[in-house]
Amino acid sequence: MKRLILSLTLLGFIGVSQAQTIISGSIKTGKAKTIVGASISIKNSYDGTSSDSTGKFTFQTTEKGEQIIIFSAIGFGTDSLKVNINSQSLPLNLILKEKLNELNAVVISAGTFEASDSKRGVVLNSLDVATTAGAQADIFAALQTLPGTQPAAGENGLFVRGGSAAEANTYFDGMLIKNPFNAQLPDIASRGRFSPFLFKGTTFSAGGYSAVYGQALSSALILESKDLPAKTTTDISLMTVGLGLEQTLRFEKSALTIGLNYINLDPAFAVFKQDVDWRQAPESKSANVIYKVKTSKTGLLKAYAEYSNANVSLNTPDLNTETPSFFSNLNKNFYSNVSHQDYLGSNWRINSAISTSSNKDNGLQAFNNYGRRDELTQAKTTITRYIGPLSTLKLGADFMHSKRTEQWNGLSRNYSDNLTSIYAESDYFISNALVARIGLRAEHSDYLDANNIAPRLSLAYKTGKTSQVSLAYGQFFQNPEDQYLVVSKNLDFQKATHYMANFQKMANGQTFRIEGYYKKYTDLVKTNPSLNNNGYGYAKGIDLFWRDKKTFKGVDYWVSYSYLDTKRDFLNYPTLATPQFGAKHSLNIVYKQFFTKLNSYVGATYSIASGRPYNNPKASEFMSERTKTFQNLSVNVSYLTKVFGKYTVLYTSVSNLPGFRNQFGYNYSQNGDNRRVIEPAALRNVFVGLFITIGDDTYKN
Amino acid sequence: MKTRITTTIAILFILFVGNVNAQDAKYMAAMQTSLQQFGAAKTSADYVASANQFERIGSSAKTEWLPFYYSAFSQLLNNTLLTKTEEKEAALAKASELIEKAESINPSESEIFTLKGYITFMQIYLDPMTKMQSEGPKAMAILGKAKALNPANPRPYYIVAQNIFYTPEGFGGGKNAAKPKLEEAAAKFEAFKLANPLMPNWGKEQNQGLLSQCK
Repeated sequence: MKRLILSLTLLGFIGVSQAQTIISGSIKTGKAKTIVGASISIKNSYDGTSSDSTGKFTFQTTEKGEQIIIFSAIGFGTDSLKVNINSQSLPLNLILKEKLNELNAVVISAGTFEASDSKRGVVLNSLDVATTAGAQADIFAALQTLPGTQPAAGENGLFVRGGSAAEANTYFDGMLIKNPFNAQLPDIASRGRFSPFLFKGTTFSAGGYSAVYGQALSSALILESKDLPAKTTTDISLMTVGLGLEQTLRFEKSALTIGLNYINLDPAFAVFKQDVDWRQAPESKSANVIYKVKTSKTGLLKAYAEYSNANVSLNTPDLNTETPSFFSNLNKNFYSNVSHQDYLGSNWRINSAISTSSNKDNGLQAFNNYGRRDELTQAKTTITRYIGPLSTLKLGADFMHSKRTEQWNGLSRNYSDNLTSIYAESDYFISNALVARIGLRAEHSDYLDANNIAPRLSLAYKTGKTSQVSLAYGQFFQNPEDQYLVVSKNLDFQKATHYMANFQKMANGQTFRIEGYYKKYTDLVKTNPSLNNNGYGYAKGIDLFWRDKKTFKGVDYWVSYSYLDTKRDFLNYPTLATPQFGAKHSLNIVYKQFFTKLNSYVGATYSIASGRPYNNPKASEFMSERTKTFQNLSVNVSYLTKVFGKYTVLYTSVSNLPGFRNQFGYNYSQNGDNRRVIEPAALRNVFVGLFITIGDDTYKN
Repeated sequence: MKTRITTTIAILFILFVGNVNAQDAKYMAAMQTSLQQFGAAKTSADYVASANQFERIGSSAKTEWLPFYYSAFSQLLNNTLLTKTEEKEAALAKASELIEKAESINPSESEIFTLKGYITFMQIYLDPMTKMQSEGPKAMAILGKAKALNPANPRPYYIVAQNIFYTPEGFGGGKNAAKPKLEEAAAKFEAFKLANPLMPNWGKEQNQGLLSQCK
C-alpha cells in the first residue's frame, strides 16, 4: 500500500500540478457536416480527445505557448493548426477535408461492369462469373446475363448494344485475343477458350472504354490473369464431357502450372438427343503452361502458353439440294502471352507484354477444301505515373502484326497488316466526388494506309454517399473483318461514336444501375454492290441492373434488363434495318444461394428475350419478321464434399430445364421456297463434373 | 483493485529498475488509463475514442509499438459493432494501417502478427465466398509467422481455431474440426505468462466460450 501511495504521488507529480487549459470546439467537413469520432490532439503530447456524436470535443492540457493541434478521422485526411495556448480556455472550430482515397472516391462506371476480387465498387467478382447457372463456367455465357448483351446461342461471341459479335473484342493482360472462341460451327455457338479461373479480374465494357484499348467498335472484355498461386496443388476434373489435370508447383518466388485437358462430347451426345447429325462430335486436346515469377519486391512476370487441337464434323441440311451437306473442321490453336509489371520508384509503374497467336482451321465444306490461318503478334507498353493518392497519367504504345491466309480448293490468298497505336490517358480526381478521364488514342494501319484519332472522355460525380452519376463519350475505330480485308485493300476503318449516361447506387450489398446510351455507326463495311465503307447505323437503349445480397439471408440475385432500338445498313443489306442481333427486350434473373447445412451451392438463371429479326425473302420488307420469344431456365448445384480426404466439388448443371423450344432465325434456300429453323443442337444439356483438389490445406493448420 | 495494484507495482518496477525518466512514466500512466478505458468500452464510439487515444500516445511515444497495437485492436473491435459494410471496411482499413505502423516499430513481435492475421481474416469475413480462397492463405501465413516468433503465444492458435470454428463443414471447418485446435489453444492459454501488464492478454475466455459450444 505504501508503494501504491508512492506511485500515485509520483504520477500525480508528473501529470498535474500545472495550470490547465480547456480546449473545446467542434469539427466539421468543408460542407459543414459534423464529423463523429475524429481525433484531436496536441502534437508530441498525449493530450487530446475524440469528437462526440454532434462533432463537439473538449479536453484539458498543461501544454503552453505555441503548439500544433493535429486532427484526423477515418475517411478524412490529417490536418494541423498552429495555436498559442496562453489562457484558461481555447475555443477551436476545425474544418477537416475529405481525403482522396479509394474507399470513398467516385469511380468511373459508365459502360463498365467490373468483376474483381480486390477492388472496391465492383458489381461482380470472379466467382460470380464462374458460378452463373447456364454459363457452365464460360466467361462469355456468364456475361450474357448482364445488361447490354443478349442471348447468342447460334453464333460465337457477344452481342453488345446492337453491335455484331465482331465488334466485341477480348484482351488478356492487355493484349488482344484474336480467337477467344473454339471454332465456330454452322449455327452452333462454341465455348470460350479460357477458363474463368485463370483470371482475378474481368472488366466488361459495353462502351466508352479506356484509350488503352482499341480495335473494338462495341465492347471490350478485359481479363486480368491471377498473380502467384499460394500453394502447390493438384486439380483433377472428371466430367461427362472429358478429363482435366492441372499441377501447380509453388516455389519461393515463382510458380509453375501445367495443365492437360481432353474433351469429347460423344458420350454426352449419345445420352442427350441431338438435333444435329454429328459425324464426329467435338473432340479437343489441349495443354497449357503458366509460369509466374517475382522479379523484384514489386515486380511480377507472367507467362502463359496454350496449344489446342480440336476436331469436329457434321452433316448440315442443304436447303437447295435437300441432301445433307458435309462439314468438317480441324482447328489448331496456339496462344502465348508474356507480361511484366513493376514499379519504378514510388510514382511510376510500367507494364509491358508480348503475345503471339496462331489459329489454323482446315476441313471440308460440302466437297470443297477450305483452310484459314490467323496469326497475330503484339507488343505493348504502358507507363503509369501516379499523381497524388488517386490520379494517374498513362502513356503507351502498341504494335500489332496480323496476317490472314485463306485457302479454297488449292487456291490461296492472304493479307497482312501492321497496326501501330499510341495512347495517353489521365484519370484526374478533382475531388473525392468528381473524376474526369481524358484519353486519346491514335492508330495507323499500313495495309489500309489510314490513320485515326480517337478521343475518349468520361466524367463521374458522386451525388451522395453511395450514389453517383457518370457520363462518357468516345470514338472507336476498328479494322474491317479479315474476311473482307483479304479481298480488298480499298477499305477504311469502321467507326462508332458512343454517348452514355449512368446512375449507380451501391449500398449494403445492394446495387442499382441505370444507363442510357446512343451509339452512332459510320463507315461500316458493305459488300453490296462491291466492298465499300458506306455502311452506317445507330443503336440506342436503356440498361437496368439490380443486385441484392441483403434482403434474403444467404441469397444473392440479380436482375438485368436491356431495351434496344437499333438499325443499320451494312454488309449485303439493301436498306436500313434491325439486324438479327437486335432483339428489343432482354431480361435475365440470376439467383444464387449457399445452403450451409447441405454444403451445397445452388444457382438458377432465367432469361427471356423478344424474338430476333430475320429476313424472309418472300416478305415485302427486309428483315421484317421476328422469331418467337426466347426463354431459358438453367440450374446448377455444386456440392462440396471430400473424396479420399481431398476437397471435392460435385457440380451438376441442366440448361433449359423446362425444355423451351427456342429459335435463333431461319435459313432459306436460294429460291426462298424452303426454310429451316436455326435452333439449339439439343433441347436440354446436362453436365456433371467432379473436381478434386489435392494439396489445398488452407483451412488446416 | 487487485489488478490495479499489480499494475501499479509493475509500473513502479519499471520506473525504478529501468532507465527512468519523466517521459517513460508519463507513457506508462497514459497507457494505464487508456487500457482501463479500452477495457470498459462498449459502443462503437467508445472503441473509436479508445483507438484515437492509443494512436495519440503512439504518435508521441514514437518507439513504442503497443499504442498502435491497441489502437488497431480497438478499430478491429469497433468493426464488429458496425453494421454497414462500408463502415466496417473503413474501420478495418484503419486497423490495418495502424498495425503496419506497429510492425515498422517492432518487426519481430508475435502479438503484432497475430493481430495482423486477425484483421486479415476480418477483412475476408466481409465477403468470404470471394476472398477466402485468395486471401485465406495470406492470413494463415501471417499467423504462422506469429506462431514461429513465439510458440508460447496462445493467441495465434486461438485465431486459427476460431476461423475453423466459423468455416462451414463443407470447406473443412466446423465444430468437430475446430475442437482439437481450440483445446491446443486452451492449453497454451493455461501455460501463458504475461511478461508485463501492458502486454496483450486477451482471448482466453473467448476461446473457452467456443470450446464449450463444441461439446
